[in-house]
Amino acid sequence: MTMAVTAGRTAINPRAAVLAYLAVSGIVYLLMMLLGLTMRLAQAQWIDVPPNFFYVVMTMHGAGMVGIAGLSSAAVMWHFVRRYIPVSTAVFLTNLVFFLIGAVLILGAGFIGGFGAAWTFLFPLPAHSGGLWSVNAAASYLVGLIFIGVGFLLLHLDIARGILSTYGGLGAALGVKQAFGLAPAEKGPPPAVTASTMALIANILGILVGAAVLVISLVNLYVPTFTFNALAAKNLIYYFGHTFINVTIYMAVIAVYEILPVYTHRKWKTNWAFYLAWVLSTVFVLTVYTHHLLMDFAMPTWTLVAGQVISWLSGLPVLLVTAFGTLTVVYRSGLRWNPAAALVFLGVAGWAIGVIPAIADGTIAVNSVMHNTQWVPGHFHTYLLLGMVAMVLGFMTYLTNPQPRYGFAWLGYWLYLVGGVIFVIAFLLAGAASVPRRYAVHVAQWLPYDRIGSIGATVAIAGVLILVARFFVGIRTAASAQDPT
Amino acid sequence: MSTRRLLVATCGSWLVLWLPAVRGGLERDMALHMAVQMPLLIALGALVAAATCRFEPRWLAAADWLGIAGIAAVVLGTSFWMVPRALDQAIADWRIDLVKFLTLPLLVGMPLGLSWRRMPPLGRAFIWANFIPKLGAVGGLYLGAPMRLCAYYRLDQQELAGWTLIAVAVALGITWFVAAFIGWTPSCGKRPSRPSVDGAGRQRALHASAA
Repeated sequence: MTMAVTAGRTAINPRAAVLAYLAVSGIVYLLMMLLGLTMRLAQAQWIDVPPNFFYVVMTMHGAGMVGIAGLSSAAVMWHFVRRYIPVSTAVFLTNLVFFLIGAVLILGAGFIGGFGAAWTFLFPLPAHSGGLWSVNAAASYLVGLIFIGVGFLLLHLDIARGILSTYGGLGAALGVKQAFGLAPAEKGPPPAVTASTMALIANILGILVGAAVLVISLVNLYVPTFTFNALAAKNLIYYFGHTFINVTIYMAVIAVYEILPVYTHRKWKTNWAFYLAWVLSTVFVLTVYTHHLLMDFAMPTWTLVAGQVISWLSGLPVLLVTAFGTLTVVYRSGLRWNPAAALVFLGVAGWAIGVIPAIADGTIAVNSVMHNTQWVPGHFHTYLLLGMVAMVLGFMTYLTNPQPRYGFAWLGYWLYLVGGVIFVIAFLLAGAASVPRRYAVHVAQWLPYDRIGSIGATVAIAGVLILVARFFVGIRTAASAQDPT
Repeated sequence: MSTRRLLVATCGSWLVLWLPAVRGGLERDMALHMAVQMPLLIALGALVAAATCRFEPRWLAAADWLGIAGIAAVVLGTSFWMVPRALDQAIADWRIDLVKFLTLPLLVGMPLGLSWRRMPPLGRAFIWANFIPKLGAVGGLYLGAPMRLCAYYRLDQQELAGWTLIAVAVALGITWFVAAFIGWTPSCGKRPSRPSVDGAGRQRALHASAA
């Protein structure tokens, strides 16, 4: 990493810090994808994985992917928002260090301690392993999550500090006045600031709630007589977990707002609808988590109804203004397509398409049939793998500017796109056929879906491998370069 | 209010809180003990700090670099007096209660008042972000405890204390959020002009990246 010593103080090159984030992200994405492929191959009965180890792999894949989605999209957000507000590179790197410590603890909990209670660590499962893992392994997992949460908390608080010092309040940075016509839209904050404000509001609140439930779960591990209402714990865990993974998209989408205008030479125009969409989505992202509890009959009915209605609405405002904005920025712009622009464009498409099966699953009548099927990994892989990850890969390609060697990157793009589409469609079709999710062992009738999904996953991983490999090829020159034109 | 009047009012309030009737009344209930009496004692110390910060010796300010030492004392002091056994001891023995009456203003409230302004905004925000879930988690543990944690308080009082701490955590979280949302941020000092709010910053960034 490039560092320059100035006036006795060590100044860290912010661009190098972003590249460090992306280097870690590229490696972890590939490793976690290989874990996912391992699960699909085991379900396809092409390899033999003991069921108890399957759940370790599933837990590590889930926790690892959620964590790295947060880290990589935070890199996107930080890189662009620092153009408009003062932020600390030291805090940014502190988050990376905390993340790596947390990742070591989590991987140790799984691959050494055998922890396999899924990334959602639903209370009181960590304390009831049936002899498969020790209390210390479960504690290692929970402490790892706390480390990661503390790192992200610091990062978001630092961005909040920068936003408050520039805009005065989070409401101003979110564009509340513009949203309600109280100030001209031209005077509104840049999209990167609005999106970062939404992300920090949601994640700080989510992390505070998550910290409380993690501490309670830790106490329960070592003093099992200290119990907690399991349904309350589930609410708190999903408030934290759903918000965290949901926000990754809203951080990564900044890549769309900032990268496409560079290639199309058109400004990303904001208007009152843009700001209103972000204000609404801020409210929705904080209240939508109850759609994870639609099958919990003990929940008050109004919360489930609210969960359904908010699920229908949650992603739509920002998605609509982003998709519409993307089309207007690109349409007849004379854009000469390159892998970076194509990847962020694909990200918007993957997000838009993935939301449709998600909305279906957010409907109580559908949810009661579909929620425990592969429909769910089908929809979230659509908007995460082909949405959020595509935006991050586009950002990686943009920073390392492969021009004029686009050919290799295009190969990676098409393998990733075709493989990814096959992979998610296999999940969705399996879900439509009621193939259950989170089963280590599949019956013969389910194998075609698993095998098609495995082939798709292999092709997609090959594409990501190429894109990540060419990122590493360009990383040295990218550290000292300007953003591409 | 002048420094002298503030000090007199603070000492007077301390003495009122020490009066057996007031002390007994506030310590009779776990929720009042934790959520009213102890915060009041801390607030008295913070008031003394506000009144006397002008007279703070330079060496003390230098030793309390970025407010780290002072806030460490605050965290240790508040953590100690959250331990159920410490509450029991304070009720059982007036001398321990006197220790509480002295340590909370002097070792928690005063360091809080003196060190808080020295902390950078990120540090203050991080302290808040730690304190709020800690209160909530302790409240949750009081609710989840299968037995009485304090010999002097009944289970129902313990449960009420748990809910009270959770309510305080939620109220603090909402207040903190609303303050940041509307821009009531005394810790952030001046509000600079908004060079990048008008869209020109975005334009400049676009030009910079295109250059």
